[in-house]
Amino acid sequence: MTRRRGWTSAVAGIASRQTRVLLKSPALLIPSLLFPMLFFAALAGGLAELARVPGFDYPAGYTSFQFVFVLFQASMFGGVFTGFAAARDFESGFARRLLLAVPHRSAILVGYVVSAMVRAAIIMAFVTVVALLAGLDLIGSPLDVGLLFALALLSNILGSLWALGIALRFRTMNVAPLMQVPFFVLLFLAPVYVPLDLLSGWIREIADVNPVTFLLEAGRALLVGEAGPVGTAWLVILIGGIILGIWSLAALRSAERG
Amino acid sequence: MPAIEVHALTRAFKKGPRAVDGIDLTVDEGEIYGFLGPNGAGKSTTVLMLTTLLPPTSGTALVAGFDVVKDGARVRGAIGAALQEAALDRFLTGWEHVRLQGALHGMSRSDIERRGGELLDRVGMREAASRKVGGYSGGMKRRLDLALALLHRPRVLFLDEPTTGLDPQSRAALWNEVARLSRDEGVTVFLTTQYLEEADALAGRVGIIDHGTIVAEGTPTALKAEIGRASVEIEPHEAARLADLERTLAQFGTAIAAPATGAAIRLDAGVADVAPIVRALDAEGIRIHQLRLREPTLDDVFLEKTGRTLQGSGDSATEGDEA
Repeated sequence: MTRRRGWTSAVAGIASRQTRVLLKSPALLIPSLLFPMLFFAALAGGLAELARVPGFDYPAGYTSFQFVFVLFQASMFGGVFTGFAAARDFESGFARRLLLAVPHRSAILVGYVVSAMVRAAIIMAFVTVVALLAGLDLIGSPLDVGLLFALALLSNILGSLWALGIALRFRTMNVAPLMQVPFFVLLFLAPVYVPLDLLSGWIREIADVNPVTFLLEAGRALLVGEAGPVGTAWLVILIGGIILGIWSLAALRSAERG
Repeated sequence: MPAIEVHALTRAFKKGPRAVDGIDLTVDEGEIYGFLGPNGAGKSTTVLMLTTLLPPTSGTALVAGFDVVKDGARVRGAIGAALQEAALDRFLTGWEHVRLQGALHGMSRSDIERRGGELLDRVGMREAASRKVGGYSGGMKRRLDLALALLHRPRVLFLDEPTTGLDPQSRAALWNEVARLSRDEGVTVFLTTQYLEEADALAGRVGIIDHGTIVAEGTPTALKAEIGRASVEIEPHEAARLADLERTLAQFGTAIAAPATGAAIRLDAGVADVAPIVRALDAEGIRIHQLRLREPTLDDVFLEKTGRTLQGSGDSATEGDEA
């Protein structure tokens, strides 16, 4: 067995186990599906009148405008929920099996991240079907829309690396709020309800530097095939991935020290 | 080359005493080594260090020839471990655990199926393997855990209190399998236990650990022979004569721990002292309610080395802030 084959096999094993558990226990999957649906219903349904605000000129309509937010939110929180799963594994002792058997332990981290992406893909598919039924308008080219979904799926990595960093450091479910709250704050300090240009005051100043803003603005631009901060969004994913990758690897070392 | 070689291995925790305090030990290939001690003595901490789950504070440990700190990946490839709590996922079936374990070790799919089936048969879990682990009994979980630990054909097997909580039948089955592994497959077994009879039945050599240090080591026979002398425990018919009983017995040996209702001594002259003791008690008018003569056991060895009995010493011990 080569080192690479062993590593890949461990990643696949961990990701496959997480996915099996997720599909076998609806109690674990339903919250991941329910959260974005509630947001979608509340934002796209309840706040649809915001589309009449002067200056709101999103060509695909308010439902599509909110779909992008819900898509990113669902994907990122798919990653956070995987952090919960890792914390549960440490609490139950199951993580010891992984730490004992996997020769190169970075495979554990990557295995969880891959399983988070699978989870996110399931949720994103579900959200998209519901949004299409609710009137989602995909104006952009297939390539643009594909890039939107790729961007949203990769943002899941940021959520999972952050949450895994917390889970591996504290190894208990008691820190679940620490995994969620920063992403809630980041998401809601971005242009959630109206485009960035319509925000003003302190929230505009924060939104201007909030990395999630670039993801949402790029996503909304891709959905309708317009120009937007797409390059910056990819940079956010790349830099965020590197920083949070280092953060979660350090947490793995902390877990190894016991 | 020894399968396990440990020098001055130490683990200190921030808020506790040294859980393991500079132990040295060597386990030969194919040997079953019993690591005996009460709760909190340092057994599990030692296992965690030897299996790369906890780094030592100082000292060195080689397992299967690899350093547990510098070459952890190779150590993990060479060992199998079934720890105190069987680390199983209640949502997965036995077979799904087998496939996961095989994947973690990088085994091919065909090898996992072949070896997994063979091991599930051997531990009597083939039929149950298609059911979710959540419905398994404690004994079934232990047996599955053992099969998983053996899946990748480890050279060294760590079993941390493998029979705790098992019924006598499951315990006997597990003993048979462990003995067979060592005898037929040459697997080195490092077995921690609080059960004296387990160490006596299985282990070629025994190390006794207390407060983080090894207080005795050798074959069970040699350790018991070191103590050498039998002991006698007597309960008087009238509780009021207990003090007289103790005074009389003191002429024949050294007092050792006994139940509150009686007295016990290690016999200076061995079994030959029993008849004179009975005569002396008769002469004093002390009627005997119960008399028990005991050959030395590993508990006696523990008592001799630590001043405490093994079975009763666990409660006061601590193992610090374990991971």
